[in-house]
Amino acid sequence: MPSSSYRLAPLSDDEFNTLDEPTKLLVADKLLSTLFYGYSLSTLKEKINSGDFLSQVALGLKEETTDKDLLESTIIDEEKFYRPSGHSEAIDVLSRFYAAKDLDKYFFNNWVAYILTQTIMFSPAYELDSSHAPNVARVYNRLVTLLEDDTGMRFITYIHMASDDNWRRFRSPEDNGREMLEIYTLDGDDSHVPIAATALKNWKLDRDNDTLVVGLNENTQALSLFGTTIYNGDDFYRELVKSSSFTYGVVKRLVSFFFIDNTPAQIESITQSIVASKPETWQGILKQIVFSKEYLLHTTKAKSAEETYFSLTKKLEYKTRNNSIYYFKIALENMHQASMKYKLGKIERVPLDTLSFANYTKYIREEVLLRRSNPSYDNNHSHWARQGWSDSFISSDKIEIDSSDEVQTLHNLIDYIFEIIASRTATQDEMKMFDTLMLQDKDGVDEVVYFFDILDDGVNSSNIRNGDRYAQSVAYTVLDYLSRLEDTYIHKKVD
Amino acid sequence: MKRRNFIKLSLAASTSLVLPSLASGATTDYTKVKFDKNTYDTNAAQVIMIYLYGGASQLAGNLTNLDEIQDKSQSSYDYFRGITQTQNGFWQEAGGTHLEDMITAGDMTLFRTCYSKVREANNNKAHGACTVQNQKGSFNESSAGMVASLTDILSTNNAITEDSVMPFVTMEGESNFYSPGNATVPSYLRAVGLNQNLDNPYKRYVRYWFEYTSQERETTDYNKNDERGFDPAFNKTMNEMAQNNNNHIKIKNAFDKREPLSQFITQIDTAVTPDLGADAYPTNSTFAKTLEASIKVMANNPDTKVITMNTGGLGGWDDHNDARNYVTRCEGLYKSLKSSLAHLKALGKEQNISIMLFGEFGRNVNLNSALGWDHGNLQNFIVLGGKKYFTHRGVVGETQVDSSGAINRLYMKPTENSETFEPLSIAATLYKVFGITNPEILTDGNEAVVL
Repeated sequence: MPSSSYRLAPLSDDEFNTLDEPTKLLVADKLLSTLFYGYSLSTLKEKINSGDFLSQVALGLKEETTDKDLLESTIIDEEKFYRPSGHSEAIDVLSRFYAAKDLDKYFFNNWVAYILTQTIMFSPAYELDSSHAPNVARVYNRLVTLLEDDTGMRFITYIHMASDDNWRRFRSPEDNGREMLEIYTLDGDDSHVPIAATALKNWKLDRDNDTLVVGLNENTQALSLFGTTIYNGDDFYRELVKSSSFTYGVVKRLVSFFFIDNTPAQIESITQSIVASKPETWQGILKQIVFSKEYLLHTTKAKSAEETYFSLTKKLEYKTRNNSIYYFKIALENMHQASMKYKLGKIERVPLDTLSFANYTKYIREEVLLRRSNPSYDNNHSHWARQGWSDSFISSDKIEIDSSDEVQTLHNLIDYIFEIIASRTATQDEMKMFDTLMLQDKDGVDEVVYFFDILDDGVNSSNIRNGDRYAQSVAYTVLDYLSRLEDTYIHKKVD
Repeated sequence: MKRRNFIKLSLAASTSLVLPSLASGATTDYTKVKFDKNTYDTNAAQVIMIYLYGGASQLAGNLTNLDEIQDKSQSSYDYFRGITQTQNGFWQEAGGTHLEDMITAGDMTLFRTCYSKVREANNNKAHGACTVQNQKGSFNESSAGMVASLTDILSTNNAITEDSVMPFVTMEGESNFYSPGNATVPSYLRAVGLNQNLDNPYKRYVRYWFEYTSQERETTDYNKNDERGFDPAFNKTMNEMAQNNNNHIKIKNAFDKREPLSQFITQIDTAVTPDLGADAYPTNSTFAKTLEASIKVMANNPDTKVITMNTGGLGGWDDHNDARNYVTRCEGLYKSLKSSLAHLKALGKEQNISIMLFGEFGRNVNLNSALGWDHGNLQNFIVLGGKKYFTHRGVVGETQVDSSGAINRLYMKPTENSETFEPLSIAATLYKVFGITNPEILTDGNEAVVL
């Protein structure tokens, strides 16, 4: 679907270019982190200043540049990614976003598949005793394969509804019929359930083997549903995806997933705009959402843990140890944001009750922001000291150094870290707060306390430059503060 | 239709799907609520609300129509390998013995006829809509959750204040019980989350030496992550500065509650459950642990007014197929409830702490070809404890079987003369025990159940 067909107004390059610099940074980071991506600050600013940032990102999503063989072999390398039985399928999905380098068509199709599997529409639901860990791979990989083949959303849904995986979630004719109607067409009319159940009467999940069996005793009585006549399960699924209410239903599901805090009236309006564009692909719907003015400029939304984590890993040049992604998967469960687990998908995409959020912020603070990767262990993927942000993210070439002004240079580093995480520089009050810790008065003049002095060119016994070590102290401190700031956890609106 | 054509199918989409909805969109007028502080103080009520997500079958608590059900069911109930009725018509193998014990002790009321005429008329047996309505106590799905409304009313009447410690606790994360609607819920009264292990993710473990001043660093073991260490003053400064810049209500609230919750959990976690003898909680049960933790919280903190929880660990109740484990699930559920009553009694808290148990709906009683039940419209509502403000009535309500003759359309419903009520009356009951004398104005005219 070309963007010219969008009915939910996209933010254009021209409109983007009129925004002030901090807002551009905010909007650009919002778009990228929504897609589980991020650039280093210098690269991002360069792309923003190119004048066609948004169209370049959109163009990138249409081209495949990833070396898929390399990527797919990397994520199943047990030395780099611990993949215990029962978890490996979801870990592979998560590891791929961490390991993928390019924001290209393959990355995007994976992201689309990921989003769909978090919703009630395609959740593999491994929490159920009739579902199993391989269902994660079956549902997710099938989605990616079909998306890569530019398959339409109706056919993808038809295939899914008639699959063992879907029947492992909704396991009897009336349950499956009821839920398919409600999930994809928002039809909650109980009187339609017996009709669907009759059409599906010969479909059954064999619970001894959790396998779908379609008997030969199919219904032969004419049934009226979707404004047409159906007889059997194939008819039911096919006519459901062909029905006029299907597009409305699935668009509304996705709009509600992204516009969490919008009013019902706003969600309805956004839904109607997208439906009016007559989308036929999942990519068409999701691109309209994430490139829209409504989303990029006018929406405040809590970031999902994946949005925060994968964006930070890219921006901080973060290195994992072999079980980091495994623990991230576990952490998602504690945050009540488990990936592909729930029978009904993530009803609350980002739960912000105190317990869920405490687990969320604790993980981001203690496992991402306050963990530095020790370069001595770069090649030792099993060592805990490998996990963390790279020194390169605060290397001196990334910071504006004024060798004649240690205080200004310190402030430059603080602002640099702020811009990466919060898409803004520190406020005066915030800078003053850091000054109280990092500066000391010497004869009426502010000087930087020695262990925050990034201009110190001395070396320690390991021949490491003092200033580089002290930059780490600054980074730890600023990142600790940022871990307490909402900017780390929410996409903010502009107006 | 050829596959390729189907793949590329492009059909005109309707833009005018109108869903059946009862939502009026009207806001709740809290100014009309009448609050009786004397009742509130006298009851000193604390309520644990257990929600059975998925819609639990009512049969464990009601086999009175079993003969007719077995006669008309598509599949035989022999599948359950034992379906024995107790004296009061409970399903003995499905926790019925425990239900009998609690009824006999006068500690419980089991209402058999929580039934929605409104949903029957509107053909609504959908999980989402029914859960929203039941947890809000209103058919207006944009209204506030029942706990949010209660928060508004109690704080408006100064029954709970900024000094109240953790008045509302969720053991299940976010739910519609807490949807704000147009209720005013001050940040300090928002529900806090705990889990069955009383884990403490609120505690911050990582501190660095360079966040201490030179004076602070002179203290021995100043940055040890245990009782020998202490938080540097800079830590407090960072918290305050961040909160000055945080505006998102939920996030700001979560950060506000972090440290008090950490201390609260540390304190509650030391509470020991008395020896309950034969009524000890089932072991290896997440649900039992959650219930036990909830009682610990309430017993040690009178400020906690409502705790909401689900039956996590037992499994869901959406028994469309292979319903045999419904029996063992019920056994675990009711055994745990019996243990919780023993726990309350051991602590002398059965007078003011009560437990309410319900879900979105009950189930159809036709055992289908997949050996399960479709959604129904009649459920049990169980109330335990709270003997200071509830006079338990044992088993209430009579049912009959209703069959249209169509496949899988075999339901239970109240008999013509039976006492019955809409699920919204459960919210009204909650409001009433907290001193609201006209709860029906919050629940679309539905009054509290008679207890």
